[in-house]
Amino acid sequence: MFPSGRSSLFLDRRRLLAVTDSTFFTTGIGWRHPHYACLLEAQPELDFLEVHSENFFARGGAALAVLHEARQSYPVSLHGVGLALGSAAGIDPWHLEQLAALVERIEPVRVSDHASFARGPWGGATVHAADLLPLAFHRQSLDVLCANVQQVQDRLKRRLLVENLSAYVRFNTCDMSETGFLSALASRSGCGLLVDVNNIYVNACNERLAGSTEDPVRACMAWLDQIPPHAVAELHLAGHKDCGDIVIDDHGSRVCDEVWQLYRHALARFGKAPGGLATLVEWDTDMPSLQVLLDEAASARALQALADSAVAA
Amino acid sequence: MRPDNFQQEQQALLQLVLGAADGVALPPWLSAGDATQARRAQRGLQAYRANGQALAERALTAAYPVLVQLVGEENFAALARHFRAFHPPLCGDMACWGDLLGGFIGASAQLADDPYLADVAHLEWRMHLAGSAADVPPDPASFARLATEDPARITFTLGAGVALLASPYPVASIVNAHLTGSPSLQQAGQRLAEGRAEHVLVWRQGLRPRVRVSTANEHRLLGTLMAGRSLLDALEALDDAPDAVPFDFNAWLGEAVQTGLAMGVHSLPTTEGNP
Repeated sequence: MFPSGRSSLFLDRRRLLAVTDSTFFTTGIGWRHPHYACLLEAQPELDFLEVHSENFFARGGAALAVLHEARQSYPVSLHGVGLALGSAAGIDPWHLEQLAALVERIEPVRVSDHASFARGPWGGATVHAADLLPLAFHRQSLDVLCANVQQVQDRLKRRLLVENLSAYVRFNTCDMSETGFLSALASRSGCGLLVDVNNIYVNACNERLAGSTEDPVRACMAWLDQIPPHAVAELHLAGHKDCGDIVIDDHGSRVCDEVWQLYRHALARFGKAPGGLATLVEWDTDMPSLQVLLDEAASARALQALADSAVAA
Repeated sequence: MRPDNFQQEQQALLQLVLGAADGVALPPWLSAGDATQARRAQRGLQAYRANGQALAERALTAAYPVLVQLVGEENFAALARHFRAFHPPLCGDMACWGDLLGGFIGASAQLADDPYLADVAHLEWRMHLAGSAADVPPDPASFARLATEDPARITFTLGAGVALLASPYPVASIVNAHLTGSPSLQQAGQRLAEGRAEHVLVWRQGLRPRVRVSTANEHRLLGTLMAGRSLLDALEALDDAPDAVPFDFNAWLGEAVQTGLAMGVHSLPTTEGNP
């Protein structure tokens, strides 16, 4: 599928490029409950829909039925928030089996989760924090993350994409940079990277509040430049909330100008990678109308067209 | 100073995030002992705690919409906070979390004045489970087997999410009054004041979880069928009932088929000595 509003000549060129060097962009939106019905009715032109895997672990019922209906019209990307890939306590086998069953049913275009932990011992049981808790960037942590990612990939028999976090606490036990950590993860496990541009910017804004950086945009560009382009398969865009004393990645507003600027930089860096580059517009709180998400997706496509022209030139 | 091992590092952060109190001492590997860094780490932990609380409220509200109405949003938020502190999620699918809320309410001294709330929670959890239960395809042609086959060798294929609950309170009336308006809130309140007990049946009709007042006989019939026994066993359970109230099986079957409670008829698995 190709973005709308382009001439047939352009589409022909895109198809040719796709065949010759596989350079192409796709764009989708996060599909959440308030938009289930209106999206199925409107059938907007999108390259894929993204859903949170855990919302469809049920063996039947309304949620799964609506996902199957959407799957008739769109490729679906399964984005998890609960595998807790970096947990020293390991992967929950039940969770992995639910995901494997969903992957088999939906045949998603991509499967992804986060470089985070959530599972650990608590009162004699292993509990799940139901959050994306940050990892320390050191060798022990990397070993655990690589082993867990490998376990998931072996079970699903496919490549997993792993996303960078917005983190609100930092371990000072780190002996690697985040980009070095993620690059090593991709290299060792063979997983792909999902780069959330907004998350990088949120982290840089919080580092500015802590006095450890002066220019968040410049810091983010340096971050992006340290990630190996061939490992990146997807970019995420979202809004965030500036609370004054902390910036929160709440996915509850439009993408800000600085993140669009970083997105352009990311397209230039990662858009040449073989295998294509997907872009997702996420919105999870204070949900607006579907049209607002489609407008954001159109903005992403416009920037992709510019990047595409640069590649062709 | 680094903790002894990586697992301890994660466990400590997990406890800081799941813990309720702000202002607890931070480990040096999180704050570096610097006051500014410690403040920032505390603010970050506060963000994680707030997110966890909001997620807990959302998850429980989705499963217990009537309970929210009964106790009010503010009280329900406090209930969710206490419940999460005692029973944190065990898995990454939040739709699975909250099964113990009915028991938690039943053991709460603060809610002892409204003892029916625990059974309302038990009922809502069964409805929540029915909403996501595996689909059961209807097999209407199979009902013809009722006229031709030995009832000792066949049984009903029940609809998705069938569950039974017997309560000393009119919980089906309370739940339906809030979800469908039938009976009215006034009628449900009157039944509660009269001390009426209810047998309750939960199932899913199509994609919609349903709940209705049942009878002791229907509970015996369905309970036997849900145990994997034959139709003959289920009918005999009715005859063996101590109160032996007459049960119109044909009328029951007509409604059960129409409402998606009975989806078809299938053979019982063959067992040794019963070929």
